[in-house]
Amino acid sequence: MTALVWLHEDALRQDHPVYTAAGEDVISYFFWDENYLQEMDYGFKRLVFIYETLCELPVNIIHGSTVEGLSKLAENQSCEKIYIPATSNPVLQEIIAELQHRLPVVVVEETPFVSLTKDLDIKRFFRYWKKAKKLAMQPTDS
Amino acid sequence: MIELEKIFTNRKQLVKYVSEISPWLQNINASSIMGGISQADRHLQDIDPIKYCRTRNFLNGKVTKLSPYIRHGILTLDRLRNEALALCKDPEQIEKFIQELAWRDYWQRIYQRHPKYIWDDIESYKTGFQADEYEDELSEDIATANTGVACIDQFIETLLQTGYMHNHTRMYVAAYVVHWRRIKWQAGAKWFLHHLIDGDPASNNFSWQWVASTFSNKPYIFNLDNVRKYAHAEINTNSTDNAVLDDSYETLTLSLFPNKGMKQ
Repeated sequence: MTALVWLHEDALRQDHPVYTAAGEDVISYFFWDENYLQEMDYGFKRLVFIYETLCELPVNIIHGSTVEGLSKLAENQSCEKIYIPATSNPVLQEIIAELQHRLPVVVVEETPFVSLTKDLDIKRFFRYWKKAKKLAMQPTDS
Repeated sequence: MIELEKIFTNRKQLVKYVSEISPWLQNINASSIMGGISQADRHLQDIDPIKYCRTRNFLNGKVTKLSPYIRHGILTLDRLRNEALALCKDPEQIEKFIQELAWRDYWQRIYQRHPKYIWDDIESYKTGFQADEYEDELSEDIATANTGVACIDQFIETLLQTGYMHNHTRMYVAAYVVHWRRIKWQAGAKWFLHHLIDGDPASNNFSWQWVASTFSNKPYIFNLDNVRKYAHAEINTNSTDNAVLDDSYETLTLSLFPNKGMKQ
């Protein structure tokens, strides 16, 4: 069964772990969601940059509301789950939360720069760096 | 639902198309910085982490210009670190390069743990002023690169024309806005996020807070000698044209923060 990936502006690439999670039979979508883009208050230069990137990716660009669009697509394609790259952006997180009310959603984390405990002391950079340096200075196999 | 076009004969056509699907924007000038996986790969081929460590603070130093690609997930910090390590014999040679990636990771961790810190003062200002003594809005002369301080206007002009700034000039402009003009860092951060192609709420806003001293132990300031040290020949560092910056750190500290050290 085909899986849906919602590729948002924080994860514009083909080898994001979201694709591994979604499996081989996958269709991905980006939404040119005017409400979202206006809320983010991006200038034109950024919008061109994002669009140019999308043109090089195997993703369908849909003009319209993300929540409405994904709900409709999931229904039309009898899709079981929607896979979404994780994001820190609260506006995107709100959209994800809204989708979760309607559809089964799987949020997939980005490849980490360093794997550290969640309760790490991050009050100042150098406290973090003391813990992170050893891992940060080594290559990973990804 | 309408599916949008993805094939264009040239960039001009693409830019026109993006302007048509973004009717709420007035200014429709594109940047010379191009999006795309191929562009990210091209910049990646060009990185020189060892030279970066030596020259990154100079305005014509060997910086990577990869930040827009990292911001939008086209490149990961993990991949960039691995590519950089592959270019050197000893990782210690490029510690500063990797540390800059770590700063970005650090800001993201704070963003995830404390989303409200993005727009709230994390701590109070250490400038001798209370937050309500700062202006809420950015002045028009700053927004339009007409401050009358020559180098600051050149840095802002670069932002407006290209959607990109060298990190050092971001710090200069942020310090000028917050400390010379006494404007809340939030106004400056919002302005940068609008114009910067790589504008990221975490890296951008926490850096503004760092400059402002609401996320550091002291305010960041600079003087004209510092700009002269790091600028290139095209930047106007003439004393007369940059008078408000042309003083010692001691004198600037006294004039910018007259209440500092006094009991609040």
